[in-house]
Amino acid sequence: MASQKKDAASNRRGGSLIGKGIVKRFGKKEVLHGIDIALEPGRIYGLIGRNGAGKTTLLSILSAQNPLSLGEVTLAGEQVWENIPAKEQICFSRELTPTAESGIANLKIQHYLKIAASYFPNWDQPFAMKLLGDFQLYEKAKIGKLSKGMLSMITIIVALASKAPYTFLDEPVAGLDVIAREEFYRLLLEEYSATGRTFVVSTHIIEEAAAMLEETIILKDGHVLLQENTEELVASCIYVSGREEEVEQATVGLDVYHKERIGRSVGAMVKLADGQELRADGNITIQPMSLQKIFAALCQEEREER
Amino acid sequence: MQEMLTQEKSIYLQIAEMIENDILREVLLEEEQAPSTNELARLYAINPATAAKGVNLLVDEGILYKKRGIGMFVTTGAKDKIRTKRRQSFYADYIERLLGEARSLGITKAELIRMIEEEGQEG
Repeated sequence: MASQKKDAASNRRGGSLIGKGIVKRFGKKEVLHGIDIALEPGRIYGLIGRNGAGKTTLLSILSAQNPLSLGEVTLAGEQVWENIPAKEQICFSRELTPTAESGIANLKIQHYLKIAASYFPNWDQPFAMKLLGDFQLYEKAKIGKLSKGMLSMITIIVALASKAPYTFLDEPVAGLDVIAREEFYRLLLEEYSATGRTFVVSTHIIEEAAAMLEETIILKDGHVLLQENTEELVASCIYVSGREEEVEQATVGLDVYHKERIGRSVGAMVKLADGQELRADGNITIQPMSLQKIFAALCQEEREER
Repeated sequence: MQEMLTQEKSIYLQIAEMIENDILREVLLEEEQAPSTNELARLYAINPATAAKGVNLLVDEGILYKKRGIGMFVTTGAKDKIRTKRRQSFYADYIERLLGEARSLGITKAELIRMIEEEGQEG
């Protein structure tokens, strides 16, 4: 317990992971368009975005698994690319895709974990074995025989057991049933409380994870649309509905997203900036919004009818 | 502390309210230890920083106090403090909403008073 407390303190002291002007091109296609991002030690970040927004590419660049076309990534001020001591501090536990070509389909779980362990100096083997038990996985099972949910469990085990100060999980709950998802959230929070490691979790099941995420990063079409404290973001977004004129009047000069009309009534999301208030005097309904709804409103913005 | 979280208000406020409810209902007694930030985080699957914000709100209001190195405890007199506070916000929280809904339904003040009195007789 004492050593865990020390771990927590030293992890929280460590340097920030910073990406500046990250551009990534695959051939002629540019998928990341100059991303600036700062990840501080001792936080849980949520990375959300639609399919194809660039989440996996961004995580692979931040963990130096993929080269960038322009820009730089630094950890505590040092370049991460081709810097083994820096790379050992960052674990990107990728989604497993056991195809014939990748060669991992024939590996047993225990061998796959052994390979993963070799990348991380702080690898915790007893913890990995305990997690295998928690998820009721058999260490001698072949990767190629596992279901989608079981493959997700393996990526979770690698992420947690890596003990890397910066750990990225790319859709860790894909294919997991609700019990296993809740088990994962519990395990992640326990590990976070005990060690103060930084986690970045990308997910499409936004609502379940929302309360766990200290900060939310929304990626849209290769840009960072926003990075904000989750609680403040949720508090700043409200859903306003009622007669069109009254909604218009209440929201003059405010940022309005994803307006929807039915007959005379209008509903829209309003994002209040610091110090802004809604002029809610009339007959309009004001409701809080979930992170998932906020995300949907922000990302559907352009489809608004004129 | 087994209520479920809703989306109606900020999570840290709900955490503070649930601890208050437990104190009002004597699930949690004065001078007893309150659940820790990490316990709350695990139970509700929320970020420990959010749980801490809720707990600290109660510390600021003198409902919980910190024993160094041990944890958070319920202050003597916390129950009265919560009652006083909730009485003060009762009008804004309940009466205003009741009156607003009654107005849009065309229920008169006299009718409203009669409903309350009848309820009193039955109970």
